[in-house]
Amino acid sequence: MAPPLTITEASSLIAAGKLSPVELTQDCLERIEALNPVLNSFILVTADRAMADARAAEARISKHGPKGPLDGIPIAHKDIYNTAGIRTTGHSRLLEHNIPEKDATTVAKLAEAGTVMLGKLATHEFAMGGPSFDLPWPPARNPWNPDHFTGGSSSGTGAAVPPGLILGGTGSDTGGSIRGPATLCGIAGIKPTYGLCSRAGVLPLSFTLDHTGPMAWTVEDCAILLQAMAGYDPDDPASADRPVPNFRAEINGGVKGLRIGVIRHYHEVDHAVGEPTRNALDDALSVLQDLGAEIRDVKLSPLADYAACAWMILTTEAYAVHEPWLKSEFNSYGELLRDRLALGGLTRGVDYVQAMRRRRELCVEMASMMAGLDVLVTAVQPNDAPRIDEVPKWAMFEKPSLMAPFNVTGYPAISVCTGFGPGGLPLGMQLVAKPFAEPLLFRAAHAYETATPWRTRRPEMKVEASGVA
Amino acid sequence: MKPMISEDAFAVLLAQTGLPLSTEQKKTLHGAYGYVEQIAARISGPRPREVEPAMIFRAGAK
Repeated sequence: MAPPLTITEASSLIAAGKLSPVELTQDCLERIEALNPVLNSFILVTADRAMADARAAEARISKHGPKGPLDGIPIAHKDIYNTAGIRTTGHSRLLEHNIPEKDATTVAKLAEAGTVMLGKLATHEFAMGGPSFDLPWPPARNPWNPDHFTGGSSSGTGAAVPPGLILGGTGSDTGGSIRGPATLCGIAGIKPTYGLCSRAGVLPLSFTLDHTGPMAWTVEDCAILLQAMAGYDPDDPASADRPVPNFRAEINGGVKGLRIGVIRHYHEVDHAVGEPTRNALDDALSVLQDLGAEIRDVKLSPLADYAACAWMILTTEAYAVHEPWLKSEFNSYGELLRDRLALGGLTRGVDYVQAMRRRRELCVEMASMMAGLDVLVTAVQPNDAPRIDEVPKWAMFEKPSLMAPFNVTGYPAISVCTGFGPGGLPLGMQLVAKPFAEPLLFRAAHAYETATPWRTRRPEMKVEASGVA
Repeated sequence: MKPMISEDAFAVLLAQTGLPLSTEQKKTLHGAYGYVEQIAARISGPRPREVEPAMIFRAGAK
């Protein structure tokens, strides 16, 4: 079987009549059949729907040509995105038989763009509790080494992209749930600006921190997916009513002259990362400098301030979402999520308000610091992926999250692969831009990605007719 | 992290939630509550009384 294609490559081949969406979909379904028993990335495969989508795309394209770069491209959705007539569980026993009547807005937009839907992807329970081993479906596993964690909560999307089970997929990011698994699984993932992508029809976790966004093998593929997902939606009260720019218009513009601030105290002091992650990040900064960017260190309030603000808001809002079920069906949740959520019932109203007041102060600080910069850079995860059975229940308390500041402030942030650690597991960094400056963010991340060799390496999971070799 | 709250006071706090918790679950939450105290203290630093929260009601919003 040939190496997996990127969305960019597949759409070019489809447009040129050299690749059939039906064959591409069959290829993905074969990979799913062979590898999903190891990866657990899918909790539902919709093969009949996928083949129907693919045949419809093929017929449409043969008549009129592709309607865009996603026409005939196989993707899948994190299982917190509602899909009409197709089970949407939040990876939870509580919604084991839940069949929505309507697609989430972003699911409908991606379908309208011509995508082929392969199924529903594993997540941490309700995008917060994982990795859990006491749910109806097992947790996804890392394709670079299945004994290791994918990160979460968009764990199935992170696991499915590298070996080509899907060409891209949806994720959600409340405290790092796109960027974390994207980094640990060695792919690209963007948390767009708060309000750019609708959350309507996506199971909520924390109303003021939730973001939807895409994950894929490359930065450019993320830009293509985001182009279809973004846009004003009156069904989402946080949706921004503004025009959607062309996210690829300046993607080849390079970084020459861009001013990049490095929040070095985040990853060297506040949450000191391991040596491989730090060395890879320093090497990445050298690459950006060699490409013409101006690099300088910047300072913000301690990372713990942002993380504390994020935790208080997230947990209190999540408790508000789940309180009725917690009271009536407490033990139907997995242990991890019910314990994490229950803490949210112990916060005081005044603590939530103080967190929101602190949030405003931190947003002002971030805006002031970004005034003289184009892009920020810091680490995403402190190390490569830990073993899946060594993730502590209270990990979020032990060290402040490197990703939370950009959920608190709503700034767009993209994670990209910066190489591999000594055990062959991926490493990464995140780049951050001003609100609604996604075109510039894609430009900077794409410049780094195409100047480095990391996209040529896929996990060595061989697909054989009889299964995994 | 050991919490500052007494076990009696914590029991009252838990009872207010109305959650059907087992003794073991109560013990687990008590063990983690020190983190909540630490976070609450960090976000409650002194600030002018007129500082408003990040989310403000907008009249007429749909």
